[in-house]
Amino acid sequence: MQPGDEDLVALARNGDHKAFEELVERHKQKAYRIAFDFARDREEAKDLSQEAFLRAYSHLGNFDGRSGFYTWFYRILVNVCLDYKRRKKRTFAEEFNEAVENQVEPSQVSQKPPSPDQQVLARQLSRKIGAALEALPPKQRTAFILKNNQGLSIKEIAEMMQTAEGTVKVHLHRAVTALRQSLAEFA
Amino acid sequence: MAQHDKAVAVACTQWEEDLVLHYYGELRGSERTAVEDHVRGCEPCRFYLKELESILPLTVKPDEPPQAFWDNYSREMRRKLTEVKERKSWWQSLALFFQPWAIPVSATAAVAVLALTLTLGKGFWGSKEIPQDDQAFMEILPAAENLEFFKTMEVLDAMDFLEDMGSPVKGSA
Repeated sequence: MQPGDEDLVALARNGDHKAFEELVERHKQKAYRIAFDFARDREEAKDLSQEAFLRAYSHLGNFDGRSGFYTWFYRILVNVCLDYKRRKKRTFAEEFNEAVENQVEPSQVSQKPPSPDQQVLARQLSRKIGAALEALPPKQRTAFILKNNQGLSIKEIAEMMQTAEGTVKVHLHRAVTALRQSLAEFA
Repeated sequence: MAQHDKAVAVACTQWEEDLVLHYYGELRGSERTAVEDHVRGCEPCRFYLKELESILPLTVKPDEPPQAFWDNYSREMRRKLTEVKERKSWWQSLALFFQPWAIPVSATAAVAVLALTLTLGKGFWGSKEIPQDDQAFMEILPAAENLEFFKTMEVLDAMDFLEDMGSPVKGSA
């Protein structure tokens, strides 16, 4: 039987290096995807998620087991992502557009290239979405990304954000309202 | 019922939050039934839900990195973890020195070493450097230096006495 996350944490706290590497392997893809939703850039998402793992490793002593490792770690990850957004000088919209424009999706390789009109429309949409997400306050953005992109439950988001479920619902509703207003023309 | 807008669908204010939660599948039981009943009879709220279904998926930008990316990710992570572990062990050994118990233990050891040095060292240096005869000489040396002074004082006293003897008695002259 595979050891649970908490068992691996206990082993890692006792100096078992490999146990923490196993935790990384288990959570790296999900961690990367959350970081990508915030950063919208592959390399930055990698750096942010790795930074979150390193912080978790350095502060394993602070993990009291009241919440699961998953919740504790994703809380660290979200904070790393929000700190990064605060530090970042370039605007979110610029990064998003560059990431989208530079990104080659597997589906694009086999399909015929989009027409110039489609490219213009896609670029406009990307710019709008980037600007709309960037304009959201950090708590609304966090609640929205964790629900809309990651599909976490309100309960999980509340635990991760260390707030009440009702507060998460309010953040989510406000985020959706703001995004609807910004993106109505694409509906 | 709410007014319908061409640009942005306007749902009934009191139902809006529930519509968002319904879209995300967060409503259960009676709450869910209540929203579904309302939407059936309310066109603006129905339109609002449709709008959420068309807009919100646009905000998700999926990213599927190739396997090589994940291999590199794990390799980098192992290297970074090793670096942190090495840094940690260096700090831990330094921090061990500043543990609460280490301070009184170190202080006690230092005092013991100092006491031993003074106790043993005093006899050692005393017997080697200054012989006992010399020690006695060193003790009387300051007194000998003052001897001349006392002698001078004695001579002065004697002169006063002689003066008193030689002079006529006051009042009898």
